[in-house]
Amino acid sequence: MMGRLEIRDLHFSYTENEEILKGIDLVLDQQSTAIIGQNGAGKTTFVKLLKGLLQPTSGKIVYNGTDLSSMTVAQIAKHIGMVFQNPNDQIFKNSVIDEVMFGPMQVGMSKEEAKVHAMDALEMVGMEKKCKVNPYDLGLSERKLISIAAILAMDPEVIIFDEPTIAQDYAGKKCIGEIVEHLRNQGKLVLTIIHDMDFVAEHFDRAVVFAKGGVLLDGNPEKVFSRAEILEKAFLEQPNVTRLCHALGYEETFLTTDDFVEYKKGQ
Amino acid sequence: MKSISLYEEKNSTLNHLDSGCKMLYMVAAILVPALIGNKWANVAVIILSVFLLAISKVLRKTVPVLSVSGIVILTIVIIQGMFRAGNTTVVLQLGPAAFYKEGLLYSLGIALNVFNILLAICVLIFTTKPSDMVENFIEKGFSPRLGYVFISIFQIIPQMMETMNTITDAQRSRGMETEGSLLVRIKAFLPLISPVVMSSLVDTKERAIALEVRGFNAKTKKTFLNERKVTTTDKIINLLLIAAVLASVAWRVKLWLG
Repeated sequence: MMGRLEIRDLHFSYTENEEILKGIDLVLDQQSTAIIGQNGAGKTTFVKLLKGLLQPTSGKIVYNGTDLSSMTVAQIAKHIGMVFQNPNDQIFKNSVIDEVMFGPMQVGMSKEEAKVHAMDALEMVGMEKKCKVNPYDLGLSERKLISIAAILAMDPEVIIFDEPTIAQDYAGKKCIGEIVEHLRNQGKLVLTIIHDMDFVAEHFDRAVVFAKGGVLLDGNPEKVFSRAEILEKAFLEQPNVTRLCHALGYEETFLTTDDFVEYKKGQ
Repeated sequence: MKSISLYEEKNSTLNHLDSGCKMLYMVAAILVPALIGNKWANVAVIILSVFLLAISKVLRKTVPVLSVSGIVILTIVIIQGMFRAGNTTVVLQLGPAAFYKEGLLYSLGIALNVFNILLAICVLIFTTKPSDMVENFIEKGFSPRLGYVFISIFQIIPQMMETMNTITDAQRSRGMETEGSLLVRIKAFLPLISPVVMSSLVDTKERAIALEVRGFNAKTKKTFLNERKVTTTDKIINLLLIAAVLASVAWRVKLWLG
């Protein structure tokens, strides 16, 4: 099933006199979407609202026709998964497989079903051989992959990644990029909060720029990253290749090295 | 990060006063009325403390402190007022309940004492940064290690509370119920507490390394980043406070001898 989130005039504040989100209208579906913006722009608050961990002060989030506020956090978890920034915040079992099976069993899968899903998820992150290992014996970047698998195994229609590329080496980033694309091709709605613009340029269909609690820019990465002046106002950078080519005097916006190489070959 | 310290920077006169001064005030405010042994001395010091709290703009913060202890005091007043041995003069008759003058006066003494001590402590802790207080102690020869332990509580507990919140969110995001019946809560305990313990252990190790690379255990004499400035005003106040304590000691001795 397809996940579709409709956000209508969403407002949120922790304290009365400081509004964090000032009216957000968005429709999220199909396209894998990166939410970018300076620290404090309201990205994390926004995804917490999508998960039901916070309740909006006003406005609505509608998931496939159902108002999220009518669902409990546990019910939402079945449909919308979120991988937290720090894998240590969730890992507590003594073996990788138990850890990954925890979520699926919480959302009502049988043990056998959970095991099948868990093994599939571990395979997708390339950790299937380590399923009997104690997660605490693994390094941080592998633990991150475990925490991703733990959410994938729950088979949600929407998957949110909070800073997936932090503390990842090249191989880890590549793996996570492949996961993002694979999930998108499976028809899942992939969302991420991220500061790594190169990663957005390479793997995402859509970029939404948050600034001061509102949406500043929204569109495909070519469109968003071509607006250097607006990005600068939001204290964001273009991807490295885009900046380089811009500095070299090219009019076009190139997002990745591959784009540029292809363009040069075609000349 | 939410602070667990009761101190709040209000840029008030008492905020700028040296922490030693305020500690001395607390001691004097408790000692002087106790030595004089008169209810009016208590009342006078209470008024002084309230005045100091008011000019420091922290009077409102005493409300929870006073109301919690107020409940305890109220039970003392009721019990002593009705049942104290030696109660003879009835001052108030509420149906079958009679309140006696002797018991009420006795409990009034207790109440004044408690409120005086609480307010004196409030004057100190609402206007003084915990770290300033500890630095002051260390300067006077208190162990810096113990001092660190004391200060770090104010950092570690809020940090752990924050970690706890993130972990609860992370596990709820995996479909775990954390609210509801006792059984639900017991089942939620392990998935919540294990990551908290593990991350606290990791944090502790990192904190220890961070301290060690900055020479926490170095044997040389340490200097202070924040030089304490004891102004003339501080010195005068200190002298006045010491004089007040000495005078009340003298008064007590005179009473004994006379």
